[in-house]
Amino acid sequence: MSASAKRKTVQGITLCADPARERCFRVAQLDSEMQKFENAMSEDARRERLHRHMNNETGALEIAAQCLADFPESPWELRMQLARQAFDESRHVHALHQRLRQLGGYKGEFPIGNFEWAVTNMCDTLAARLAIQNRTFEAGQMDLLGTLRQIWRSVGDERTAEVLEHILADEINHVRFANQWIRKLVQADRRLLLKVACAVRFLADANSAISEPTANSGETSAQQHKKIGINVEDRRHADFNDDEINEILRQAGMSSLTGAGAQA
Amino acid sequence: MGLILREKAEYLATFRWLEVFLMETLARWVPTTPEMEVKVLMGRHIWDAAQHADALGKRTFELRAPLHYTLAPLPPHLNTMNELASVEDTAGRFQAVYDVILPGLAARYQQYLQNSDSLLDEPSFRVIEGILNDYARMRKESDEVRAELVETLVFDPGRAERWSRQENEISEFVLHGGGSTLAREATV
Repeated sequence: MSASAKRKTVQGITLCADPARERCFRVAQLDSEMQKFENAMSEDARRERLHRHMNNETGALEIAAQCLADFPESPWELRMQLARQAFDESRHVHALHQRLRQLGGYKGEFPIGNFEWAVTNMCDTLAARLAIQNRTFEAGQMDLLGTLRQIWRSVGDERTAEVLEHILADEINHVRFANQWIRKLVQADRRLLLKVACAVRFLADANSAISEPTANSGETSAQQHKKIGINVEDRRHADFNDDEINEILRQAGMSSLTGAGAQA
Repeated sequence: MGLILREKAEYLATFRWLEVFLMETLARWVPTTPEMEVKVLMGRHIWDAAQHADALGKRTFELRAPLHYTLAPLPPHLNTMNELASVEDTAGRFQAVYDVILPGLAARYQQYLQNSDSLLDEPSFRVIEGILNDYARMRKESDEVRAELVETLVFDPGRAERWSRQENEISEFVLHGGGSTLAREATV
């Protein structure tokens, strides 16, 4: 049975069962099971950030690899992009693990979550998986990384900032090829639009189910992400058009920054 | 024994099939292998196999075959590959790729070079020499991970030797003359 065909249920939502992890890892199913810190850049919190990010990159590697396994008939040029993404994500995991160890951390030090894998692999088309993993999760990570590298620099950790800068550059490529291929695939088969729309709706439902307001701020992780801001410049590099960027800003409550918002 | 042009295209098309098979096998194993270092290693080598398949597929077109011409190997070799791809444990997967498939394929690529013409077929030589260099790097990287995980993974050398023997015993692996019509040949 394909790894993407196994199922689990979390808070009443059916999701793809977790990928294989070593026994040292504790796998969380809800946001509230992840470790949180009052001081977001304390030494422990920094290691937790790297540890969480390392597992997210592992998940991105697994999702790209699973797409290669599940969609052997997709265009060869797209498969090449997915193979390249697997290579990039592998290097990200390696670099973050290396940095984690340099800061005294280790595999399994904190809980991990596999939400992206669990949601993305519920989609039965490659276009929908690209829309969820690359165009949504990875584009969201672009927004976070736009700010995070400055935060690491501000606490004097130039090396981690450098790692994140290189990861960001790679992620832009992953989001760009997804944007371009989703357009091509949808042009070739308009029914895929419905599949993509359903996948986005499913993601919203799953997100509400697992994201509980944090004890400290009362905000969900999605709300916290909105506060980070939208990385408009890199979204342009990743081939989001102006209409799409305006819509993302509007959804984030920043429509006053867009032309349409200014006119309203 | 020298190869004629059509046979060269068939060899390269079969090599392409094997590289795609390696890419897909590694891709299936990444989510189902627990050890993070092994996932990372396999993730790196997915891209290597994809690039090899791409270069071979472009070369088949230059040899008057379709772009990305791909031929499955003959049943004995195909069955051996499928058997190796069905291994479930991490140590076995590791050995299947780095102790059996890569050395076995390297020997078959070398055999191709011995049977082809280094001047007239120089573009194929360049592609294959690049692949062989990559294989050497891939095996070196696998040795590093193996050393890192020596206390976690238990390797059974007897199993790898058995698989290698099985792979080595298959001499003919390319289907000649039975593949799809060479696209450009039909128009000449």
